[in-house]
Amino acid sequence: MDAAARRVEYADARHVAARAERISVRNGELAQLDLDAESGIGIRVRVGGAWGFAATRDESRGGAEAALERALAVAEAQPSADGAKLAPEAPAAGAWESEVREDPFGVPMADKLALLTAAEAALREGSGVTVSRASFFAWRTEKLFASTEGALCEQRVTECGGGLSATAVADGETQVRSWPASHGGHVAQAGFEHFRELALPERAPHVAEEAVALLAAPPCPAGRTTLVLAGEQLGLQVHESIGHAVELDRVLGREASYAGTSFVPADGIGSLHIGSPRLNVTADATSLGGLGSYRWDDEGVEGQAVPIVRDGVLRGFLSSRETAAELSLGRSAGCMRAEGFTRQPIVRMTNVNLEPGDAGSLEDLLESTGRGILIETNRSWSIDDQRLQFQFEGEAAWEIEDGARRRLLKNPSYAGVTPVFWGSLDALCSDADWRLISLLDCGKGEPGQVMRVSHGSAPARFRDVEVGVA
Amino acid sequence: MRALDLAELALAAAPAGDGGLALVRRERSLVLRYARSRPTQATAIDDLTIELAVLREGHVGRASTNALDLDSLAACGRSAAAAAEAAARAGGVGTFPGFPAAGKARGHDGHDPETAALHPERGGAALAAAFAAAERSGLEAHGIWTAAEEETAVASSAGASLGDRITDAFMKVVCIAPGGRSGYAAATAVAARDLDAPVLAERAARKAEVQGEPASLDPGEYPVVLEAHAVGWLMELLGVTAFNGLAHAEGRGALTGRLGTRVVAACVNLADSPRFPGTLPRAFDAEGTPKAPRPLLEDGVARAVVYDTHSAALAGEASTGHALAPGGSPGGPLPTNLVLAGGGAKDEAELSRPIERGVYVTRLWYANVVRPHESLVTAVTRDGTFLIEDGEITRPLLDLRLTDSVLGILARTQALTGSTALTSDGEFYGRRFAMGTVAPALRASAVRFTGSAARV
Repeated sequence: MDAAARRVEYADARHVAARAERISVRNGELAQLDLDAESGIGIRVRVGGAWGFAATRDESRGGAEAALERALAVAEAQPSADGAKLAPEAPAAGAWESEVREDPFGVPMADKLALLTAAEAALREGSGVTVSRASFFAWRTEKLFASTEGALCEQRVTECGGGLSATAVADGETQVRSWPASHGGHVAQAGFEHFRELALPERAPHVAEEAVALLAAPPCPAGRTTLVLAGEQLGLQVHESIGHAVELDRVLGREASYAGTSFVPADGIGSLHIGSPRLNVTADATSLGGLGSYRWDDEGVEGQAVPIVRDGVLRGFLSSRETAAELSLGRSAGCMRAEGFTRQPIVRMTNVNLEPGDAGSLEDLLESTGRGILIETNRSWSIDDQRLQFQFEGEAAWEIEDGARRRLLKNPSYAGVTPVFWGSLDALCSDADWRLISLLDCGKGEPGQVMRVSHGSAPARFRDVEVGVA
Repeated sequence: MRALDLAELALAAAPAGDGGLALVRRERSLVLRYARSRPTQATAIDDLTIELAVLREGHVGRASTNALDLDSLAACGRSAAAAAEAAARAGGVGTFPGFPAAGKARGHDGHDPETAALHPERGGAALAAAFAAAERSGLEAHGIWTAAEEETAVASSAGASLGDRITDAFMKVVCIAPGGRSGYAAATAVAARDLDAPVLAERAARKAEVQGEPASLDPGEYPVVLEAHAVGWLMELLGVTAFNGLAHAEGRGALTGRLGTRVVAACVNLADSPRFPGTLPRAFDAEGTPKAPRPLLEDGVARAVVYDTHSAALAGEASTGHALAPGGSPGGPLPTNLVLAGGGAKDEAELSRPIERGVYVTRLWYANVVRPHESLVTAVTRDGTFLIEDGEITRPLLDLRLTDSVLGILARTQALTGSTALTSDGEFYGRRFAMGTVAPALRASAVRFTGSAARV
């Protein structure tokens, strides 16, 4: 940074050392056992309003200086720009690490394989499962951040978790059930204790039974009805239709060519109604165990709990120092995150959480619902480039009749338009049913970056939703 | 050090096990992003990944590093071997038959030294040209310009010793009018000099400039003209749902039980062609199996799927050179050089002519598989969706949600353009692996739409 300070408006550098374990047992044998490690330096500079970024695995002084030169050359080669100033931030200083009781990288491989093998075998105990799979994931990321403004901070984050899936195939049809969620299961900012608590072997027989039962289940009927969402599906609904929509880079048009823009206008704070008065959303980088939690973001801004929606009205954005300055917000919301050392930080979600309501437990909610359908686990998702029109499919649904969960339904789907859908929110379960779910593959940016995020929510009810669309 | 030398060095540093393989992937890349006719982000990457796979009693353990010193390579090898050994102790004998024997990979012309130099000035000039072209039309330009050199090498205890270098270049221009209408154009090539920024910007601008209040269509089935980029997306989704040899072997594929039968219109011919003119060539896969052309759909008849070593063993077949990771990726193999043959139509205008009332689609977005067995997918149209009336584009349309079977759309395909384009969305997640689909535009008699974009 000393070398950069004389030549740039601003510069920062991140040294990142990342380690990952991905293990899965499938159909009675090891399907994946990957142990990955990488480290390097990413240097970001701002010259004449344009950003340049260069990444190198060469961690020597010479390597870092060469990367700085490359970042400067790249910035200077671009057409001139009149970028906004950066919102002020006190230089970050200190060290932080996430809570871990049992280091997942210290647990013997044999113990991990024993748990996975037992869980996967339990999926095959009954008949009818074609593909059985149990998975484990662990990541450790160590970052050192410094800037020309004097920031110098270190962070160490450990993430761990896994899940199950059973696939049943018959007569030209495939049905999948996953637990505790699809797309990799449930991962938390925690140690191996979290993986043990998932109790995969105990849950496996039920998962397999439901996969097979889906083959014979009736399809989700088409029409308009009351929809209850819970768990992963509700978290994904928050993620896609609210989380991405309030990313300020999208709102300002900077992601228009790839991720898209947003239906949320830049001047919408205090006036834009996103949902019913029951809708309250907070972007919270301090949620214990959340994959979007940190002490500082990747440009050294302190992690915060930022109100996004209160009583259905827009109250804030996910922002960076540059986008916050462009909108005169005073301070960044601390949402800049980068995947590894080879990518520069971009505006990402922290833990974008749907606050709980007062409808009691899920069973209480169903009891007061009368008739409708319940979807918990996601199978497929898609939303337009303004985050307005969406269509989701679940792995399974349950008919709600006379206030209770009844028949299993296959191929459930629903569609809607974001503010209309959230406007139909009429009940949220209480704090005791509020949980974090994880999404492991949120893609954004060019070159692409995958980010892991969490979303907290309690089961919620939406009236008059179009279902059975796919 | 050359990637192949590094692969040989890494293999030598790893415990032998029952077999071993080293895969090296080196990336040097440059990505310039822009929005609202201003540069926004620029990323230069110089990195590599050394992946070591060790086989033990039919189980493959893998470890990777980006550190090149001998101690790190040895540690990486020990990790891979320990992983394979732990798997063998936990699970008995596995089914992986061993890494493929050495094969001879054919050369290709997929490397351009000038592009490999990665001059940022070339990218900067492309951005300036796009900004100027957009400004002439009173529009703002958004997009990326990118170029890269990828070096890949495989060395294995089975005798593989292969190296490959390719370059790729991609530029995307989205022009947005003050009223919010947008238009898209993109190009992918081996050489950066083949990206014509002004032409792309002008093509995107023409779409954004189409006058008229956007019409709205009710959900339903409509005749459709799909431009090459939209067709390319659908072919990639078909690669996932129909041609994945692992899913096929397990009875989950869209072509399970249908090989040798007519599954789409007779005018449809699709192959995986790693050296087809205009594609981004590849010499071998992640296990060192040489790539070769593989017909997938011939005159509408399903002919084949693609395999890596693991899925081939399950199916009783031989690997076709489509491994994405040594020992196989968890999701199975995929085609990486799809080529859909062109037809007899002159252009999109000729495709549109027989349509009384239908939809013209420039590109698709946010596509996802709904039910793979049916090749049922959903996606939204974007950056240039128009209403066709009496054979002509008459006005813009609000974007639509497509939910349909890809095989179904191909079964309803009536005509294709003679010209094709290398299509890609320039998505580079993880270690860069540039790929694209060569596709023509096509007309289908009916495509199912399940929703329309809303306005707040």
